[in-house]
Amino acid sequence: MSSLVRQIARLNLTQRNLLQNSVKLLAPVSNSLHTTAALNAKWNKANQGPRKWLEYNKIVHPPQKPDEEPRKAYVCHMRTNIKYSPDKMWYIASFVRGMSVDEAVKQLSFVLKKGATHVKEVILEAQEMAVRQHNVEYKSNLWIAESFVGKGRYFRGIRRHARGRQGRVEYKHCHYFVRLEEGQPPKDYYLPAAQSPEQQLEKWIQEMRSRKVINSL
Amino acid sequence: MSRNIYLSLSNFLNRLESLLFFGQRGRPPMEFALTGMPGFESNLPKLSTENQSPDKFSLKELLGDGILWAVPKHRRTIEKRLKRKFGVPEYNWKPLIAKTNLRTCNQCGHDHELGILCPHCYKKVEQETRLMQEKIQQELGLEPIENEVIVLYEGEQMEKSADGTSERKVRVVEMEKPRPVWFSKNLMQKTTTQPAETKEVKPSNLG
Repeated sequence: MSSLVRQIARLNLTQRNLLQNSVKLLAPVSNSLHTTAALNAKWNKANQGPRKWLEYNKIVHPPQKPDEEPRKAYVCHMRTNIKYSPDKMWYIASFVRGMSVDEAVKQLSFVLKKGATHVKEVILEAQEMAVRQHNVEYKSNLWIAESFVGKGRYFRGIRRHARGRQGRVEYKHCHYFVRLEEGQPPKDYYLPAAQSPEQQLEKWIQEMRSRKVINSL
Repeated sequence: MSRNIYLSLSNFLNRLESLLFFGQRGRPPMEFALTGMPGFESNLPKLSTENQSPDKFSLKELLGDGILWAVPKHRRTIEKRLKRKFGVPEYNWKPLIAKTNLRTCNQCGHDHELGILCPHCYKKVEQETRLMQEKIQQELGLEPIENEVIVLYEGEQMEKSADGTSERKVRVVEMEKPRPVWFSKNLMQKTTTQPAETKEVKPSNLG
């Protein structure tokens, strides 16, 4: 019984509470403008979100030999606790994978989803970081190598239905991670690369030649 | 170990009973008011009363199989999950598709959809229109509209009609700023016109 009571006490965040808290905040910083008071609590580790992704930026690779192929520059960036469902954000993250940075930003400007603005901002920030700190020469010479979503904080609330019934409401947050790599995007990221007629003919001839007549000498 | 299992089971049942019977209002929910009454037996499944003694209280007797309300009956197959996530290709494909009807505006360099005005350029037009409208409202107020309004920018004069004698009544509003470069005075003539037959220039006062 006591554990149940404790659970109910933890559920002190109802819809009204959240609204009130968000109205109280008048912080000038755009990142925390739309966050709830619960998310701003610095003592709660769950609010920071994952930090391992950014550690990849700090790796110092050993110097390469002159005959080795130069390592492609990359930059990892993320944004944590975006007020958006991870399932919905997944569509935008998978849309942008394998595109060049310019193409991604252009397409995202015309995607009518809330997550699209966040993803666009993250990509632009990452592009700037790449040019300033990660030794990328041309800001257009970047493509999105990795783009994925993680689950952020979920707050639970209650809503009322007819006939005295109650429903559960989940206020979902997500993290968005992106890795930009230097170079031109590959032509066969999702689908196999379009083959020229000559290549298709070659393939057909190969298939025809590899046929075997079974039970023969 | 068996004692632990027994304890956990009994705890679970106790909690469930307290949840169902000592609800938010401190009394059982009203739905259970008529259970056990003689006229309302048809709703409950008929259990043999010989097995359970009348003194022993049992949840199963009271609620029957209703204990498993609003619970999934079968596991969602992978086909259903994929259908929900991706939709159907020709009908409602859920993943986003890249748009091929985007073009770059030649004037400002921003992108816009084909067949739609460039939003960046249009914002400039909207701003200018708002300024003109404010000025017109300032000068002319809410008088009834009887004559047309002509807006003149800095250093512009009214164009004189061909005959010169007839002067139509016109309300003139003057803006205190130079004419924007992109706002041409000649808006009524179509761009694709035939070469002129006469040497007279019509309309006059071309910017």
